[in-house]
Amino acid sequence: MREQEGRLVASLAQQGISRRTFMKYCATLASMMALPPSAGIAMAEAMASSRRPSVIWLPFQECTGCTESITRSHSPTLEGLIFDAISLDYQETLMAAAGHQAEEALEKAIEDNKGKFVLIIDGSVATGLDGAYSCIAGRSNLELLKKVAPHAAAIVAMGSCAAYGGIPKANPNPTAAVSVSDIIKDKPIVNIPGCPPIPVVMTGVLAHFLTFGSLPELDKLGRPKAFYGETIHDRCYRRPFYDQGKFAKTFDDDGARNGWCLFELGCKGPITYNACATVKWNGGTSWPVESGHGCLGCSEPDFWDGGGFYKALSMPANPLKLAAGAAVAGAAAGVAISFANRAKKGAAKAAHETTTLADLEK
Amino acid sequence: MGLESIPVVTQSASDGLTGNAAAVLREIAARLESLAKEGQSGIIDLGAMPLSPADKAWLADKLGQGEVEINLELDGPSHVRETRYAGVWWLLHHNPQGAVTGEFIEITRIPELVLAHPADIISGSESLNFLIDDLC
Ligand code: SF4
Ligand code: SF4
Repeated sequence: MREQEGRLVASLAQQGISRRTFMKYCATLASMMALPPSAGIAMAEAMASSRRPSVIWLPFQECTGCTESITRSHSPTLEGLIFDAISLDYQETLMAAAGHQAEEALEKAIEDNKGKFVLIIDGSVATGLDGAYSCIAGRSNLELLKKVAPHAAAIVAMGSCAAYGGIPKANPNPTAAVSVSDIIKDKPIVNIPGCPPIPVVMTGVLAHFLTFGSLPELDKLGRPKAFYGETIHDRCYRRPFYDQGKFAKTFDDDGARNGWCLFELGCKGPITYNACATVKWNGGTSWPVESGHGCLGCSEPDFWDGGGFYKALSMPANPLKLAAGAAVAGAAAGVAISFANRAKKGAAKAAHETTTLADLEK
Repeated sequence: MGLESIPVVTQSASDGLTGNAAAVLREIAARLESLAKEGQSGIIDLGAMPLSPADKAWLADKLGQGEVEINLELDGPSHVRETRYAGVWWLLHHNPQGAVTGEFIEITRIPELVLAHPADIISGSESLNFLIDDLC
């Protein structure tokens, strides 16, 4: 019995989650991650029988939104429960201990699980004034990261701040904020960007790590390809309207009421890699575009400095002609970013300069 | 207000058969043959295939209805259905909101999800004995 207590399934059972519910969850998780269906069974077996994975979570320069995303929603999600069931040895926001006790818990967790624990970081790392802008127990985040990271098996940079620097890094970046991967170079790091990130991505990464002992396949920005492999625009249900050149011009016109594409209202879906369009939010209830608002591009680097959430991605080259060309620009600019139609893309490119988030930043 | 109330014409809603369903049917046949010959089980993730609603309807029609249907309540309803071909099962999972979260064809004697797990049998036997001890 004692031995059982450490196991994930036993811990879930205490919260009323049966093994079958867990198996079903793993099957759909594997499917979502585009793993072969047998991986779902392997995940369920590995996660059920493994000792609860030790996780140390360090919050740096952050707003706690990422923690909220995972632990809270109007009904308890399975992600939240699995998150409760992992052996979360140190998490300042959630742990009961405080002060010296908390610091002791951290030391002990590192000592007991050397080389085996997963280190989750949310928030960026302030480097200005030797990191003095963000300190816990008299130690800067920078110092703490350098101390804990060498003993971790892998690092998860949770949210856009840890992954890219996020909002703290926004111009003029007063604290000289950087991402985790800017500091740590010799550990496997997986970035789970989003402001906040989608909860199931974290469970997916943990499940993969526990089952196969490795991180899932990552893209060039260190994001799990299974969730960040396609743009919001690639999977958006309003895409047929984009392709037909039907755009809402304001949030209350006929186009908006008819559910037309939000491109001209600043939707960043075409350059944003994330799973919102398929996984959705709040237990699959809805997602921003379905609720009538364009994507902000929150899972892309420097989205905060992208030049305005309501500014369309592509604009005519000459801003003075903007008013006169606005009506035509809609359709043409929309086509400019269409990945589906490369021929049209070339033609539109010749007529217009395509502006990306990176360009706007310059 | 759900998606139905927004007049969107989705591309996948095309009525036509894509030809992918026939490929899935052949894969099922091949796996059923290896279940018969080598006892090797298999699963096919229907969510991983580009199947149109018409494809799924075609596949469901070809596979038909068997004798067994099992409903499970696992944080949202799940439904396990035997097809006309013994050993071929159709699994459909929903979340508590009712959205489909997974759809699989399992080629096996009985789907893994339905079987009682040995560890659960042990703890079930323990608690039943506790209950009996308490009776006297
Ligand atoms: S621009 Fe935005 S609203 Fe329009 S199709 Fe792309 S993701 Fe959807
Ligand atoms: S729709 Fe865009 S801005 Fe909104 S959460 Fe998803 S990636 Fe972020």
